[in-house]
Amino acid sequence: MTPIPRRTTLQRTLSTTAIVRAIVALGLTLGGVGAMAAQSTGEAELARRLDALAAELAKVKAELAQLQQQRAVAPPPMPAIAESPSMNASGTALGPGLSAEPRTVLTSYGEINYSRPTRDAKNTVADVRRFVLGFQHRFDDKTKVVTELEVEHAVSSAGDKGEVEVEQAYLERQLTRQWAARAGLFLIPAGLLNENHEPTAYYGVERNFVETAIIPSTWREGGIQFVGSFDNGLTTQFGLSTGFDLTKWDATSTDGAESPLGAIHQELSLAKARDLSVFGAVNWRGVPGLLVGGSLFTGGATHGQAAASSRVTLWDLHARWTPGRWDLSGVYSRGAISNTAAFNTPLAGSTTLIPKSFDGWFAQAAYKLWSSGDYSLSPFARWEQFNTARSFADIGPGLTPIAGPTERVITVGANFSIGSGIVLKADLQRFRENRDRDRVDLGLGWSF
Amino acid sequence: MNSRLRRSTAVAGAFWLVALGACGGGGTADDSAAPTPSVVLSAEAALGEKIFADASLSASGRQSCASCHAPAFGHSPANSLAAQFGGADSTLQGLRKAPAIRYLAANKPFAIAADGTPTGGFFWDGRARTFAEQATEPFLNPFEMANASKAAVIAKLAAAPYAVEFRKVFGDKVFDDVDGAYLRLSLAVQQYEREDADFNAYSSRYDAFLRGRAALGEQELRGLALFNAPAKGNCAACHPSSRGADGSLPLFTDFSYDNLGVPRKAELERNADAAYFDLGLCQRSDLVARGDLCGAFKVPSLRNVALRQAFFHNGRFKTLKDALTFYVQRDTDPGKWYPTGAGGVVRKFDDLPAAYRSNVNTSEAPYNRRPGDAPALSDAEIDDVIAFLKTLNDGTTP
Amino acid sequence: MKIVLTGAVAAASALAPAAAFAVDYLSVDQAARLLFPDADRFDARTIDLDAAQLQSLDRHGVRARSARWQALAARRGEATLGYVVADQVVGKFELIGYAVGIGLDGAVRQVEILSYRESHGGEIRLAAWRRQFAGKTTDSPLRIGDDIANISGATLSCTHVTEGVRRIVAVVDTARKSGALT
Repeated sequence: MTPIPRRTTLQRTLSTTAIVRAIVALGLTLGGVGAMAAQSTGEAELARRLDALAAELAKVKAELAQLQQQRAVAPPPMPAIAESPSMNASGTALGPGLSAEPRTVLTSYGEINYSRPTRDAKNTVADVRRFVLGFQHRFDDKTKVVTELEVEHAVSSAGDKGEVEVEQAYLERQLTRQWAARAGLFLIPAGLLNENHEPTAYYGVERNFVETAIIPSTWREGGIQFVGSFDNGLTTQFGLSTGFDLTKWDATSTDGAESPLGAIHQELSLAKARDLSVFGAVNWRGVPGLLVGGSLFTGGATHGQAAASSRVTLWDLHARWTPGRWDLSGVYSRGAISNTAAFNTPLAGSTTLIPKSFDGWFAQAAYKLWSSGDYSLSPFARWEQFNTARSFADIGPGLTPIAGPTERVITVGANFSIGSGIVLKADLQRFRENRDRDRVDLGLGWSF
Repeated sequence: MNSRLRRSTAVAGAFWLVALGACGGGGTADDSAAPTPSVVLSAEAALGEKIFADASLSASGRQSCASCHAPAFGHSPANSLAAQFGGADSTLQGLRKAPAIRYLAANKPFAIAADGTPTGGFFWDGRARTFAEQATEPFLNPFEMANASKAAVIAKLAAAPYAVEFRKVFGDKVFDDVDGAYLRLSLAVQQYEREDADFNAYSSRYDAFLRGRAALGEQELRGLALFNAPAKGNCAACHPSSRGADGSLPLFTDFSYDNLGVPRKAELERNADAAYFDLGLCQRSDLVARGDLCGAFKVPSLRNVALRQAFFHNGRFKTLKDALTFYVQRDTDPGKWYPTGAGGVVRKFDDLPAAYRSNVNTSEAPYNRRPGDAPALSDAEIDDVIAFLKTLNDGTTP
Repeated sequence: MKIVLTGAVAAASALAPAAAFAVDYLSVDQAARLLFPDADRFDARTIDLDAAQLQSLDRHGVRARSARWQALAARRGEATLGYVVADQVVGKFELIGYAVGIGLDGAVRQVEILSYRESHGGEIRLAAWRRQFAGKTTDSPLRIGDDIANISGATLSCTHVTEGVRRIVAVVDTARKSGALT
């Protein structure tokens, strides 16, 4: 038992013990003089107990005083959050407790490329391939808006070749721990590149052909999407959105031969929306370093504006594995358009008719050969084969176009990264069918 | 799969089923973009109809708009003359073949694009901006209706049986102001040409085929394919045959201009003077400086082409077969089309002065061949194309 | 049962965002308990690194980012079981809150994700990915593409969290060796 600290006379008088004693004494006095003698032993017992209580109370008071002392001396203990100011990617310092407050983040990525055809040097081109600015604004810890604006080819005007377009503009709301909802103009979850298309995210100066000619990256539609992430590593996305417009097909140009879906996409620009499309994607990342997934997109493309109706379907399977320094990936994608015979008959003889099916695949391997501090060098090689006109519907002898050739492209090159936001690229591409396209490319890109 | 994942999958599955079921699409559709011809003409258009057919408005009293733009022939001449005869006594030959005037509702005023390409306008050289402006010329053209002045036209108009109606629509005092009345005369004709179903019928078998309501025969389909193929006829390059992205039916012209080097037509009396050349676009007072446009004439619509009996601005050919054969054999066998001069040299492009012969289109197919090459279309293929062109005649929808 | 008030835990619970649903998965308090289930209390500790220590860390390729770090010492009775450090890093555009539990031997026990707001890459929360950190020490490379596998589509989040763990392991190690942490 700890000794009772000394107190002043006043303290002693006003101490709880003293008061209690007084009340008891009074009570006993009031209670009966006669009982006084008989109760003298009980009183002593009570007094002893009171002493004990007083001692404990004093002890608690002492600890409280000590605590208050500690608090006054030490700085208010907070989790490391406030003390170590963290910097967000664009370099502005964040203050304490900001994680739940609304904030706006500026995002950007850009690519500047140089391309020199090895057999056709007079067509060498240098270009600000993309300049993208975007922002994300977080309204509260569950809601945010994500937008992205893109300028292609540096100058956009009636006489210039560039384009300005809104690439993304959607709202996202976290509904439950697993589910989030997005609404607006968003990227379709297909392939490896479409949702993750910054220059730092892929190897090679230009995006691969399978994911540009077959999957029309950067492919975005307007609608509503649900995203579910589960504890077993499975992420599922599905939704309802706008789709393609087959009446845009220009049989006199070669756009459709370069990318069938790229020639008829609407980009939510006064898009025809009578026919909506549904899409879904499943991706599994249960094992660290491994991604396996697939997607499916299907929807009508004629919107009641043509004599016949037609449906566009595109699906893909993809995988990526990054054991140690390796980065191995592959994608297979196939698209189909229904009822093309009805559309192709009036276009018979024209340069580019609507294909019934188109597909492609690639396999790519990259290896982080060297890294030192911020720098790293990753050479890579990619083999891809694709056919934008795999088959045509029969419209009669002599009229049905023959299937297009399957182009095969071998790309060899390297990405040189500086930090996590800058990349310098170089590659060599060799085409099997169209040798005039063989080229050397150089590029630089950033992303934040 | 834990129960939460199972539930979520069920939700996803239900969503897919509902969405797919609710998905739109299916069924053939009426093309919403075909213009609906009005059955009842407005008062102005009804007047225009009467004026169009009124021969009394000409100096000879025998020529109306319909004389040279006969409805039964796709509003082109009912005969195969290189140029129609007009004037006060109907003995003066015109300068060019009277063109067909259907399917011009989408035609815009003449303009030169940023890259120098001319488009639009009415007449072979696009000098009139609108239907109305075009209608003002024939009345006063000495080779055509040959009225001495606007006043003369208005005087005749005031004496016409429908003058009362004219006054009712445009006001009682309309004939007092000659210029005003003349303007209203041309506007009435314009309204008629815009509103009357005959001018924009889209009632050909090809239209039905595009609407999914009729099928074309094998030969006709072959002809269509040859018409479209860039390496064969390449006709669609100037005469588009496919529907627009907005669903509009094709007009078979892009309203642009081209120089084909059509051979000289002796039937045109003017051509007796060897120094005379019809230079087309550069003959316009505002385009005199544009030497590169000399010899260029408007690309006409091919709708109802099989009803026409003379082709090109100078009516050089009388049959479609001859016209198409010229297209593909102009360069492979020039001696067949142009006169051979002294020393056996073919005077190619004889309807152009030497300085402008380089304006002729020799780069686009099928004009890009050399003497002795096989023509882009064989004789049988030309017949196929003609079979296809016959499907463009209006009024043949089943 | 005795109720013992220790300022650190009380303050931490008050200031860290309550585990709302969706993006905030754990509070620091909850994470600490997950990392050291046998601890009966967590005492606040402050680590102050001096200039020499900061330079030494820098030489080993760790940017300490701050001289002062707050840690929680997991205590059971009089013994210390280990330490918990909570931190935030930026993923791609948003902050990721995480906590690292380090044993007395300086090896990582586990990493917990406290909050994650990015639209992509939520897979860093999966036990499978976090398990890779168990047993790592200052001798481990702790680098993406080396001993820690990446998550496709979340490279920046993975890289920054891994960098953060490496930093915390180095800071705690330096503090322990200098006796600043008891």
